[in-house]
Amino acid sequence: MSVLSLKNVSHAYLGRTILDGIDLDVACGEIVALVGPSGCGKSTLAHIAAGLTEPKSGRITRTYKRHAMVFQDPALMPWATAAGNIDYGLRLAGMGRAARQEYVMAAAAQVALVPDDMEKFPIELSGGMRQRVAIARALAVKPEFIFFDEPFTALDVALRRRMQNLVMDICIDGRLSGLFITHDLYEAARVAHRIAVLDTRGNGVLGMRTMAGTPAQRSDAAIFDWVQTALEQDTAFRHIHDVDERQLA
Amino acid sequence: MSISLHAIASHLALRAGRVLQFLWSGWAGLAAICLLAAIWQAGHETYGPFILTSPLETLRVIGHLVADPKAWSIASLTLQRALTGFLLVAGTGSVIGIAAGYSPASMRLVTPLITVLMGVPPIAWIVLAMIWFGGSDATVRTVILVSALPVVFLGAARGITTRDRLLDRMAEAFGAGPIRRFLTIGLRQTTTTLFPALALALGTSFKVAVMAELLANAGGIGGALADARVNLDIAQALAWVVIAVILLIAVEYTLVQPVKSEIDRWRHAAQPWGVKR
Repeated sequence: MSVLSLKNVSHAYLGRTILDGIDLDVACGEIVALVGPSGCGKSTLAHIAAGLTEPKSGRITRTYKRHAMVFQDPALMPWATAAGNIDYGLRLAGMGRAARQEYVMAAAAQVALVPDDMEKFPIELSGGMRQRVAIARALAVKPEFIFFDEPFTALDVALRRRMQNLVMDICIDGRLSGLFITHDLYEAARVAHRIAVLDTRGNGVLGMRTMAGTPAQRSDAAIFDWVQTALEQDTAFRHIHDVDERQLA
Repeated sequence: MSISLHAIASHLALRAGRVLQFLWSGWAGLAAICLLAAIWQAGHETYGPFILTSPLETLRVIGHLVADPKAWSIASLTLQRALTGFLLVAGTGSVIGIAAGYSPASMRLVTPLITVLMGVPPIAWIVLAMIWFGGSDATVRTVILVSALPVVFLGAARGITTRDRLLDRMAEAFGAGPIRRFLTIGLRQTTTTLFPALALALGTSFKVAVMAELLANAGGIGGALADARVNLDIAQALAWVVIAVILLIAVEYTLVQPVKSEIDRWRHAAQPWGVKR
């Protein structure tokens, strides 16, 4: 059963078609990675799926109750402490103060934030810690679906790995589904159940590849082999590393 | 229960620490005032008491004025006018500025008007206000409103136009409608530019209030200054100037600074130690 389904979605910006004829389904308890070269409209698609951007045409069906989003930039409010930032989604949901505190603490524990960190302002935290806070903010509202919009692109390799582990841990019990936008094929192969490849010009999904086993079971060697094979033999991934700086808005 | 008590205690300790830190920073202010007094004294010794009374003599006159209930009513009249004028301009400027910040079309429409407003000399407004309202509170308030409006407007509008739009997206992703987004995200970001503008407007309010009172013959500190001029009483004039400055400082540190320091707590957290204290 799919919790998110996009049918024939298209989008245009200032008369220029960015996305056209996109079909995508995410099943319950599944993480789908959406990969594609820079500037192909991955983020726009995620924003359309999350309801932040109105598509030009197409139908979007969401059957989950509540979603959350993790952005590339942590997008934390600089004037609020880590606890205040994690609290934000709950405050918008209109929860009581005592219940909110409990939820905040639970979410913080999930991403290994200690009480000392909670009173710090984002400006006092490192990039990795900020992204942790952003993930905790998404988890705090107890979502059934999370949109990850290139969340770890700005982090260094070691940190990115830890954060990917974090995502895999969160999703391990199968109650969370997610759409994970990335242009890093290794990252996609690591965290996702299925990988969708978006066309360079946003002309539909070129291919959908199902990964063997669950993300937690996959070994690094298996991931490496899969990526090498995909890049060498799979035509869908042929343009994955093309970059046209001019297209990047 | 014990946890919440502990939290309250640590919160109070944090507050007390910040208040003490704030009071401690008063030494720097005192040093600056002493420096000013030294330069003043040097001027006094060069030009003589008829041109520039000594700081001590001025203090003595202020002492006489403090003992005089009539002086208190003069000062409170100016204080009342400056404050009501300031509140008027703060409210009007913020509302128009925020609205223009969100609406680029009205921003384009209002910006030239603000330029016109800035180009008209305050003295011209005083003349007009005198004709319209005579020597009343309304004259002073109108002149304050007109002279401080551009700075408050620009501060509020700039805060909205330079806001971090990613935070708006974030709030939207978490289900905040336009009003919640404005209240939790937009308004908070405006303070970055609005607060310096308000501090400036407060200073302008006092200056313009005294000037308008003097020229419109409307009593208050301005009226007292006019009397001092007629009597060529330098000590009296300087004493009233000092009192006006003291009033401004008092209002600034009871009204503007506490709110500002509360709002800028996160900025303070980022400052290097040498700047912090």
